[in-house]
Amino acid sequence: MSEPAVLNLILFLPVIGMVLLPLARSDGMVRQVTFWVMVLQFILTLWLYVKFQAGVAELQFETRLPWIAQWGVHYHIGLDGFNVLLVLLTAFLGPLVVAGAFSAITKDVKLFYAMVFLIQFTMLGTFLAQDLFLFYVFWEAMLIPMFLIIGIWGGERRIYATVKFVLYTAFGSILMLAAIIYLVYSLQQGTGVSSFSFADLYRHKLPVDVQGWLLAAFALSFAIKVPIVPLHTWLPDAHVEAPTAGSVILAGVLLKMGTYGFIKLGFPLFPEAARAATNWVMLAAVVSIVYGACLALVQTDIKKIIAYSSISHLGYVMLGLASLDLIGIQGAIIQMVSHGLTAAGLFLMVGMIYERCHTRELAAYGGLAKILPVYSVFFMILTLAAIGLPTTSGFTGEFLVLLGAFNSAWPIYQAGNSVPLVMTVIAVTGVVLGAMYMLWFAQRFLFGAVKAPHAPLVDLNGRERAILVTLVIAVFWLGLFPNGALRKTEVAALQYQKWVEVAGKPPATARASSMSVQEAAR
Amino acid sequence: MNWSFMIVAMLPEHLLLAGIVVLITLDVLEVGEKHAASVAMGAVMASALIAVSLAIVQFQGSPFPGHFSVDQPTMVAKAVVLALALPILQLSRDEFGEDERFYILLLSSLYGVLLVSSSDGFLTMFLGLEIMSMPVYVLVLLAYKRHEAAEAALKYLVLGGAATAMFLMGASLVYGSTGSLALDAFVKAAQAGDTLASVAVILVLVAFFLKAAVVPFHAWAPDAYEAASVPVTGFMAVLIKAGVLLAVVRLVGQAKLGSPLVELIAILPLISMVWGNLAAMRQTSFRRMIAYSSIAHAGYLFYAFLGDGPTRMQAVIFYLLAYGLMNALAFASLPAGPNDERRDRLDALKGLYQRQPYAAILLGIALLSLAGIPPFPGFVAKFLIFKNVIAAGYTTYAVLGLIGSYLGIYFYLRVIQLMFMGSQPESAPSQGRIAITAGVLCLVPTVALTVFPGVFIGLLGR
Repeated sequence: MSEPAVLNLILFLPVIGMVLLPLARSDGMVRQVTFWVMVLQFILTLWLYVKFQAGVAELQFETRLPWIAQWGVHYHIGLDGFNVLLVLLTAFLGPLVVAGAFSAITKDVKLFYAMVFLIQFTMLGTFLAQDLFLFYVFWEAMLIPMFLIIGIWGGERRIYATVKFVLYTAFGSILMLAAIIYLVYSLQQGTGVSSFSFADLYRHKLPVDVQGWLLAAFALSFAIKVPIVPLHTWLPDAHVEAPTAGSVILAGVLLKMGTYGFIKLGFPLFPEAARAATNWVMLAAVVSIVYGACLALVQTDIKKIIAYSSISHLGYVMLGLASLDLIGIQGAIIQMVSHGLTAAGLFLMVGMIYERCHTRELAAYGGLAKILPVYSVFFMILTLAAIGLPTTSGFTGEFLVLLGAFNSAWPIYQAGNSVPLVMTVIAVTGVVLGAMYMLWFAQRFLFGAVKAPHAPLVDLNGRERAILVTLVIAVFWLGLFPNGALRKTEVAALQYQKWVEVAGKPPATARASSMSVQEAAR
Repeated sequence: MNWSFMIVAMLPEHLLLAGIVVLITLDVLEVGEKHAASVAMGAVMASALIAVSLAIVQFQGSPFPGHFSVDQPTMVAKAVVLALALPILQLSRDEFGEDERFYILLLSSLYGVLLVSSSDGFLTMFLGLEIMSMPVYVLVLLAYKRHEAAEAALKYLVLGGAATAMFLMGASLVYGSTGSLALDAFVKAAQAGDTLASVAVILVLVAFFLKAAVVPFHAWAPDAYEAASVPVTGFMAVLIKAGVLLAVVRLVGQAKLGSPLVELIAILPLISMVWGNLAAMRQTSFRRMIAYSSIAHAGYLFYAFLGDGPTRMQAVIFYLLAYGLMNALAFASLPAGPNDERRDRLDALKGLYQRQPYAAILLGIALLSLAGIPPFPGFVAKFLIFKNVIAAGYTTYAVLGLIGSYLGIYFYLRVIQLMFMGSQPESAPSQGRIAITAGVLCLVPTVALTVFPGVFIGLLGR
């Protein structure tokens, strides 16, 4: 089969899986079918990832068919440097999410896995879409499965949490819809062509004030999804009330849809407005980093700690994007994937302990290292990855972002403006705060006097170990050998930089510096 | 002008008329009572097929110049209306069995809808509107299941009568100020700007606002929708609304709208969206909720007239199709209850997924589409309307309208929440029958419209 066909197959495998589910006779069969379809999807995605050529600026494995021909809407998907890692991440987390829910979900099993398939479909569609209409359809359709996943299988206050999630997100999208219509209309006015294709829209130049309005509408939608402080209040509720699988999908992939929106659409579509807003984006990023970390520090619910840490970690992504420095941008992309891995892992682990002890109160736990040694080892590895210890993926991401931020702040500082530099320095304190809340959390959770509800506890079983081993391998792979991933995303990062029009450095030095980063990591 | 042309141009109407005559004959002779529903279905289906074929061959012409004319978009509109009547008829068959009177009235009203959508003059339009509305006053009462039905029908009759009076008054003033009873006199009167003409325009518009239940002329709708039986509510929500909107399409035509008229048809519909969506949040009765939802949808539909002339027909037809399908689907998948009042309560839907998963999924799809959440047809329909509004330069109205539509998301989600996340009520209602045939009649075009919206938009032309 040709590569574009495989890419379509990857996108539509979840739909095929969903159609198969009603045929399954038992819950066990439903789980098996879902799991193996997801594994197949990952294998195909990995194959495409290997085939994906670094250093090519054009879309790869592209499919383009007319959908609503009269409006210039196309079914247009393809891989490029922006989405290739995120698609891989989504496909990678798929089987893990499914396997992680085997024992946790016992109610309405068929509907649950159908919804997991549906959300997988919409997330992949969002990343793969190269047409604004298609993108919006996937972006918004994602709400339906997530609404049900949180609302049916969630905790005590699940209804409140899920309605809040949907209403928050939908508000952002409705203004984005207005902006999309306006953008396409003005393209039609300017060129006479009605098109929703990203490529056409990038070329279209708008007056700066119009750009400002449109960027504001797009950014609101994306910022709610990321989320950026002060639009984050839906996140802790949604995370805490969601079932483990829901939290993993939310933290692992869904939040990245927001940052992906910024890098793929928000900033490149409206470059002048984006440049003018750089300082504000930086400010929002720094506030998210520090405020998220501070909130994580004082939580007593273990799921909330990780939820707030997500806000902080995604702040780095925004910082990297705002730096407009090649290293920073690449760091942002790596940080997205890295956070996807570590947060997904931590949420899975919280789910595992919750299944055993039925509480998420941190105070109820202590000294787990003595009674659950295997669990504790994995938990510690993921904690260290989350705080960015060298050799793990977290280090690569955060270090590159901060390096990029300093790179871009320094010349501005020398020119007499110290604001970006000060903000970058404040962002660095986020690393320290991150280490503080995670290590303090681990200390209270794993060490000290032994206490755990519902003891004696059974340590991780084979299925759980297999899930975590897979995740940990991915974390170290991205930490030790980020070069492969960096090379595949480099052209995209350069393109982004060029679109937002900052005098870029030649690619050669960029590659050299990213190599030296990797050596530093060793 | 030959006879065959005159017969062909009105063939969809004639077929309905034939159906009515056959039904009356059956009723009078007291034979074949078992086949009343089939006769009605057959007549509507034949009429729909003829409309589709006439649309395909791009039949156009005017058998009665100045009163009645057809062209391709009109035929498509008729085909859509007739197709939407099919699931409603199937639904009635499940509810009412073979009561001839019911089908006679329903077909008569449908005849009125077709007449309105082809009318060229105020006189034909008046005839059409009356033929369309009169039977519905009776339908609300026919086979009523609650005592409130009488009150609601009376309220509907009185307000409907007021609308008729206003329409007549407006039409006569239009005649007075322009000397013409052709429909394009309306736009001329709107542009004239003198007091007489302005009063005429306002009277006619208010009459349509009343019939379409636009705030603040909406008060009859929740009562009438709640009191009527399920198929009649479906008929009112889908086909009467379609008739009124198609009449406005004829009235406004492709003319460019000037300043006072634009504000008139933007502001009240905008309030309608906001108020309809807000009030729907508080309802405990399913049909009342749908009534408020239809008030909000009337708002979106009137927005279509802000768009440029040639785009209006397309937007209205597509929206009516998507909206009508979804309402019909919702009513078809609503499970029957032990009694009408119990069935209508939103509480009765609690835990529906546990009892009847497919009914819950179908109802869920219908509601999500009504809420305008992609990928369902409701989204494409809304997109089309707001696209035209922005293209006509009314960006502020479009943004406000979109925010108004955002307010609607919550109450649709609330029903889904009840069905999927609610626990079973204490006295779990038994498995209610759902109208499977009617559901399939809606579901197939819904899926087609979701996956290939482009095909249908292409049929509607540019």
